[in-house]
Amino acid sequence: MNLDWLDSFLIYGFFTIVIVAGLGTLLHLQLGLARMANFGVVGFFGIGMYAFGILYVKVDWPFEDPWQFLVCALCGTLVAGIAGLVVGWLIADMNEDGVLVGTLGFATAVFILATTEKELTGGAQGMGGLNFPFDVGGVKANEAAWLIVATFVVALIIFYVWRVHRSPYGRLLVAVGANEPLARSLGKPTFRIKLWLFAISSAGMGLLGALYGVNERFMRPTNLGVDITLAAMVALVLGGSARVWGATVGVILTVGFFDIVVQNYLPVPREWYSQALPVAREALFGAALILVLMFRPSGILGDMRRDKLMRSLHRD
Amino acid sequence: MTDLPDLATKTRPSIRIQNAVKSFSGRVVVDIDELNLGDVPVEGLIGPNGAGKTTLMRMIMHSTSLDRGTITLLPQGDASGDGIELSNLPSHRMAHHGVVKSNQVIMDFEKLTIWDSLLLSAAAAKYERPHRIFSEDDAFDEASAETERYLELFGFGDPAAFAKAAGEKKLLDIARCLLLKPRFLLLDEPTAGLPEETTAKVMEEVRRLAALGTSVVIVEHNLDVIWNLCDEVHFMAEGRVVMKGTPAEIRAHRTVVEKYLGEGHV
Repeated sequence: MNLDWLDSFLIYGFFTIVIVAGLGTLLHLQLGLARMANFGVVGFFGIGMYAFGILYVKVDWPFEDPWQFLVCALCGTLVAGIAGLVVGWLIADMNEDGVLVGTLGFATAVFILATTEKELTGGAQGMGGLNFPFDVGGVKANEAAWLIVATFVVALIIFYVWRVHRSPYGRLLVAVGANEPLARSLGKPTFRIKLWLFAISSAGMGLLGALYGVNERFMRPTNLGVDITLAAMVALVLGGSARVWGATVGVILTVGFFDIVVQNYLPVPREWYSQALPVAREALFGAALILVLMFRPSGILGDMRRDKLMRSLHRD
Repeated sequence: MTDLPDLATKTRPSIRIQNAVKSFSGRVVVDIDELNLGDVPVEGLIGPNGAGKTTLMRMIMHSTSLDRGTITLLPQGDASGDGIELSNLPSHRMAHHGVVKSNQVIMDFEKLTIWDSLLLSAAAAKYERPHRIFSEDDAFDEASAETERYLELFGFGDPAAFAKAAGEKKLLDIARCLLLKPRFLLLDEPTAGLPEETTAKVMEEVRRLAALGTSVVIVEHNLDVIWNLCDEVHFMAEGRVVMKGTPAEIRAHRTVVEKYLGEGHV
């Protein structure tokens, strides 16, 4: 297969789209259904990445890749899930402000730990030693193959969320998000429901972090910037926070437009790449968020339509 | 006081309220020494505005905390000694013990359809786990007989639509409660805002449940409902139950009538 058109820049752009779409779709479960505004997405993503990376690099495993990757990625996912459980336990009873500050604080704590725990994480300089768990022939081929792996994982996440909308669990999450006291009066243990939702979706974010770490081959605290949270949040809100495909649509319009179209196909001066473009990216995402909140607060795809869904499910 | 046959009280759950006090910013709203609810199938709670009826209901449901006192559920009525102290239960556990209350003010799940609301209430917890992403059809089939019954009985139009009118939301609230299969049902102004024929249907359903062994306590301003439905009526004023008796006895009591109800309501 001729992959000449596909350069590393482009693969990297697509990879970012896929990962942010995955994060946004998991955030959709929290924010769009259960109304928990998690502003610490990158914290769970980062703790998964670092837990995976540290185990992968520092531990002398008795087996080789791909098992080494699979075991370490599973551990990273679990660690992120446990972090989600702990943070969820702290915030599940709080109001919106508490959730916002609590999750943002958690992401900051992860960032600081990644920077200061030099022994473990390599500090601000970061830590290398990560690699693809396979070799299909050359760096570019490996990167392309890894993009396929990540796309597959994110497709599974989207499928899960799509099914959640069509299951009693989804209905329960919407109910908890819409009116918690009423859900409680119907016998629903809302605290536990929110707690487990938070743990499960955080675990998923951790897995995406591990995938991302492999693609970077290097972990550094700059990977844990708030820009990842913002990208996921902006994509989701722009596309429609209550819709399964909201994050995917949003991410194509934001990250896709910027990281693919602008950075690969527009004649942008070279010297802009290091400073001007990243700043312009954040400014543009912010502007997109403001515009959508002003003119179409429920996003491009609009609000969820349980009426249509129920009709299609139970009225053949 | 009425002497009802023992038969009805044997397995009917009751709620015992002892020394229950609640005050809001210094003003005592509820102050009840001893009150037993559930001795008869359907009990009414009436009284002027501010008598503490709704607060008492909320205290039973633990959605308003008690300043002091205890509220105990006796699942087998007075006969058994083992009670469940409701004020120690988290509010979601109430429904598990069969204690269910309809809402006085309209409460609904925005974004959920009528069907959703009913299924949410009727579905077993096992279907609502995060990994059960293919269980909708099973949950739907299992609940369909009951949900269909209430859809028809209460005359909901399109179950895949949202409840729009206030009356529809109120009915949906009651239907959600009934689908929980309550053992002890508290109804706080269930017929407010409902048309007459719907009120009659709700009352019919309450009567049916009560006959099957559910204890019902109803707060209602529409006194016709109270007189027609209740086996016993508690008259509350200023946070206390000042009188208790059959509807006929309460109606015959001149002071109550003159002071609180007005001639036209009897």
